[in-house]
Amino acid sequence: MSAAEASSPATMVPAVGTGQRQPPATSRRLSTRFLRSELKLIFGRRRNIAGMAVLAAVPIIIAFAVRYSGSRRGGGDGGFLSQATNNGLFVGLAALTVELPLFLPLAVAAISGDAVAGEANVGTLRYLLARPVQRTRLLAVKYLGVLIFTVAAVLLIAVVGVGFGLALFGAGPVTLLSGTQVSTAVGLWRLLLVCGYIVVCLAAFGAIGLFVSTLTEQPIGATIGVVGLAVISQILDSVSQLSAIHPYLPTHYWLSFGDLLRDPIATDQISHGIVSAVVYGVIFLAAAWARFGAKDITS
Amino acid sequence: MTESRTSLIHRPAVRWAVPGAVVAIALGAAAFSAVTADASPTLPPRNAAELLVDVQSAAVTGMSGTVVQDAALGLPELPVHIGGQGSSNFSALVSGTHTLRVWYAGADQQRIALLGTLGESDVVRNGSDVWTWASDNNAATHYQLPTGSGDTAPAERPDSGAAAMTPQQAADAALAAIDPTTTVTTDGTAEVAGRSAYELVLGPKDTASLIGQVRIAIDAEQHIPLRVQVFAKDAPTPAFQVGFSQVSFDVPGAENFQFSPPPGASVTESTLGGGDSAAATEPTEPVMPKTARPAGVDEPKIVGTGWTSVLVASMPTTSASQTSASGTATADAAAPDSSAPSVTGPDNAGAAGRSGSVDVGAILGSLPVVNGNWGTGRLLQSTLFSVLITDDGRIIAGAVAPELLYQAAGQ
Repeated sequence: MSAAEASSPATMVPAVGTGQRQPPATSRRLSTRFLRSELKLIFGRRRNIAGMAVLAAVPIIIAFAVRYSGSRRGGGDGGFLSQATNNGLFVGLAALTVELPLFLPLAVAAISGDAVAGEANVGTLRYLLARPVQRTRLLAVKYLGVLIFTVAAVLLIAVVGVGFGLALFGAGPVTLLSGTQVSTAVGLWRLLLVCGYIVVCLAAFGAIGLFVSTLTEQPIGATIGVVGLAVISQILDSVSQLSAIHPYLPTHYWLSFGDLLRDPIATDQISHGIVSAVVYGVIFLAAAWARFGAKDITS
Repeated sequence: MTESRTSLIHRPAVRWAVPGAVVAIALGAAAFSAVTADASPTLPPRNAAELLVDVQSAAVTGMSGTVVQDAALGLPELPVHIGGQGSSNFSALVSGTHTLRVWYAGADQQRIALLGTLGESDVVRNGSDVWTWASDNNAATHYQLPTGSGDTAPAERPDSGAAAMTPQQAADAALAAIDPTTTVTTDGTAEVAGRSAYELVLGPKDTASLIGQVRIAIDAEQHIPLRVQVFAKDAPTPAFQVGFSQVSFDVPGAENFQFSPPPGASVTESTLGGGDSAAATEPTEPVMPKTARPAGVDEPKIVGTGWTSVLVASMPTTSASQTSASGTATADAAAPDSSAPSVTGPDNAGAAGRSGSVDVGAILGSLPVVNGNWGTGRLLQSTLFSVLITDDGRIIAGAVAPELLYQAAGQ
């Protein structure tokens, strides 16, 4: 059966791609159902649950380590970790800082790399497209799923971190990087801004993952490739001799979230980071659309 | 009609045109902003003398902005260690690109913040109170200015590393050096931080200087320097530049100048004139050093005049004994308070940036050994200046080639 379909892939393209026969009235209902089933897939898979458990474990480890090892002043990321003893909110910030270079990109790459390649790998992609679902809509739903997962992952780290931090260290005025203090409520608001900025950065990264996912039928390959890209980008970013290309690296502005913790907030790098993320996101979503729309689905 | 369009959009070449167009638009926007940033606005001509008067009579009641400082001094092997872009330590300013925010509200309210990746160092002056703050080691220092010193530039006091860092102060230092050895001209206009500016160009008449020219962009309306660029001789790009990337001439609010150390921070009460940080003794600014030296050190003397003048100073006794040793012994001795080893490596970069001062001993150990009839020592060479540290404990520095330093050492 697969041989018959594989022999005439070109004829499939207009047939499953247009979705003309679909009644307009049911289109909205259909799209939420597709999204809901996609989310059920993302958040129901055991491997994804395990991944999120790892993400959530980091703030817990940080909270207990700081609580029971006494002062950690001056250590790696010492700024945040030592602040945690004064205020529980900083456990969330420290966890985000620790997970941003590798764990969060890994999680987003696993989901986005799996988005298309995973369906192709287990042979469900052509059935999806034969429902019929427009390819553009399929891509949109897949990316929306990646976005929702990204928001969930970042908030999970922040909420677990703040929860354990408040339980172990209590609340209080928050000391910003500038040395000034703000109330707990303002501190929470700043933390929310940080989460929002990280989500924007990772959303662009997810778009890259989605594009790579359309290139291959091996989800593991897509995930590894995208994680490798993030790591290489960060390595290049740390070589000062290459400073000319630094602003164009996809990960360059990720750590600029620290600017949201100054008094007053410094917007220079943040706005550059958002522009960079939007440009990367649009380019790779367009590329994913171009690649996926013209792709022969053979499995 | 719709069918032909639908089938057209499924043709790979057509679909790939969409991301292609997005890339083209992004690159075009980047190129356009680069071109407009380099545009020379048309301004009524103004000669150098008029510009200098403008600068002297500048009356800015308040301003704030972001300053980007870029140092490409060609220092040997230093950039990775002394803190790259992420460091929020003021002594890291000798290399790489750094961002500072400045606030100014009259003679007795100023603030400078050096932004690190996840840290910040501040110098805040509010009336007679001056605070320094370093988030990396959670430490604040309080200086009480004597009353009646209101006209002293406050940022110079606590940490000389920050002294040359605002365009205003950097230009003041450069203008102070104007004398018969210097050619002063104007060279068109420039746009800095979205504002039109005149360019004042200072150049040494003495060709022995390593400095090619100093270009100062002066705001056409407010008459304050917006950017200072220092070019090495025959170099097309500046070796050092500091300039506003964004500036506002509204008076910043009083809340920007209020600082009280957060609970848990280590607070040092300090009186001015003693106990300067290690940064004060560093050769960060060998052309025009004006640092208060620790007690027990001979007055530095100047050999030569103008742009080729060479500073000869003796090091503090402790440092002198360190430099007379060599190799790793020097490096270890210089970092008694740092648990990090003095070996060089990427992991160590963060530790060096976070510790209170630059690991001078480790740097010295990595410099080439030179000798001559004046003795032996170690030579630090950059595109703009040379520094000779002799084994008998002298620092000889100037914006000249090493040969002139050897001459000064022999005297």
